[in-house]
Amino acid sequence: MCNPTQFYFEHLNKGELWLQYCPECQRYIFYPRSHCPGCWSQHWEWHRSQGKGRIYSYSVIRVSSLGGDGEVPYIYALITLDEGVRMASRIVDCGLQEAAVDMPVEMTLQTFGGQMMPVFRPVCSRPG
Amino acid sequence: MKRKYAMITGISELAPIKDPAGQKTLALLAEAARLAIADAGLHNTQIDGLLVTPPSEDSAFMWPAQVCEYLQIRPSLLNMVELGGASAVGAVSRAALLVKAGLVKNCLCLSGGVWDSQVFNTLQGKKSVMSQAEIDFELPYQPLGFNTGYALIAHRHMHLYGTTPEQMAKVAVDQRKSALLNPLALFNQAPLTVDQVLQSPLITDPLHLLEIVRPCSGAAAVVVSNERGASLHDSVSILGWGEAFSHNSIVYAEEITTSPVKESAHRAFGMAGCEPADIDLLSLYDCYPITVLITLEDAGFCAKGEGGIFVTQHDLSYQGDRPCNTHGGQLSMGQASFAGGMSHVIEAVRQLRGEAGERQVARNHLAFVNGNGGVMSTESSLILGRTEYV
Ligand SMILES: [Zn+2]
Repeated sequence: MCNPTQFYFEHLNKGELWLQYCPECQRYIFYPRSHCPGCWSQHWEWHRSQGKGRIYSYSVIRVSSLGGDGEVPYIYALITLDEGVRMASRIVDCGLQEAAVDMPVEMTLQTFGGQMMPVFRPVCSRPG
Repeated sequence: MKRKYAMITGISELAPIKDPAGQKTLALLAEAARLAIADAGLHNTQIDGLLVTPPSEDSAFMWPAQVCEYLQIRPSLLNMVELGGASAVGAVSRAALLVKAGLVKNCLCLSGGVWDSQVFNTLQGKKSVMSQAEIDFELPYQPLGFNTGYALIAHRHMHLYGTTPEQMAKVAVDQRKSALLNPLALFNQAPLTVDQVLQSPLITDPLHLLEIVRPCSGAAAVVVSNERGASLHDSVSILGWGEAFSHNSIVYAEEITTSPVKESAHRAFGMAGCEPADIDLLSLYDCYPITVLITLEDAGFCAKGEGGIFVTQHDLSYQGDRPCNTHGGQLSMGQASFAGGMSHVIEAVRQLRGEAGERQVARNHLAFVNGNGGVMSTESSLILGRTEYV
């Protein structure tokens, strides 16, 4: 069986976000893991996500955590995907004052240390 | 109304140290142990239980055995309690359980050690306090450790309930007023104003520098016993305790503005047979003011979402109508390794004994103490009472 974490990151490097789904519990699972946390079953499936969601909460980080790489400030955020799972990420293409809880966002990809990772940008035209 | 479970017969607390140079964790723990058993009127051979919180830098492998070897004690039960910042309260409640069960007569709860920010500001240091899931799915985005976790909670609390930066700053200000009368506090030189807090630099919005706890080195100890023995102090009983968990990383909490204090406090009050209205003194884990607000709400001292209003309507200082963290809290005291959480137990005992000196509160029958681990992940609550009144 393929390591779920490895599967997840390999597909991100192809530009795709995939989430585990448990048909028994009818729920998505994040972060990737061996067993469904609802029923402890290993009979989950991979489903591709559209990467749409909303900001659950956020924080503008103004001090570099590892001794100043000139990157600050940036917006760190928790995103609730439309699939119902929550993930940590960053908000990009967004003014520091513009980010807000419940703001609709969509996924794009950014490279961190050689690995493509999902980040999110505001969506202006999404119906509330 | 309340049953006695066990007594706190001895306490000790070393002055927090900013500069870790030359300090050794086992030496700090040994000194805290020596002072605590002297306070309890006990000899070291009478210690038959040891609960110790994890070291921050020494190898944690067989840590209870390392400590017992250093202290040359041979307890009938030894264990490490690892609940993050809730470790100290968790150790005291476990000691009460062991004493009540008759397994141990005098249990030493030890907490503290050396904290070197240089070590914890490296990538390796950061990883040492993260799960593999946090390393894989959070660290690449560079959160500012625990600070950002609590910032996320604070922002959402502001969004849902209209909590303001001024309300959060008030917690640090009131606690500083009490800290001015605590010779052990790291920050006891000058009062603090709400403006000063809000004018200090934003670190991870909405948290300002002066709302963020200062890690340091230190140690503290509590002795939990089945009887008062040779103690010369007013006796303090452990009346109830409760614990609860909801998540490891805050990313996966169901609702980040509601904590497991809801369950841990409910369990503690249920065991003690009392309620928030009966409590004279609060000792609440305060890594940031938002932690205090949410603990007040979830423990039932005010309605959900009204923590901000509560702290502005009440004076939390030792002179106030709702004394809370009268040692200054960790925000003024400093967070000594994991001993940060023990300082809340110790201040409650001092106040209940009537030994808090210039910062003694007027009414001191019952105290509610809360320990908080991780980013509001694991909560451990205690109800302590002055034995003659309970
Ligand atoms: Zn399932």
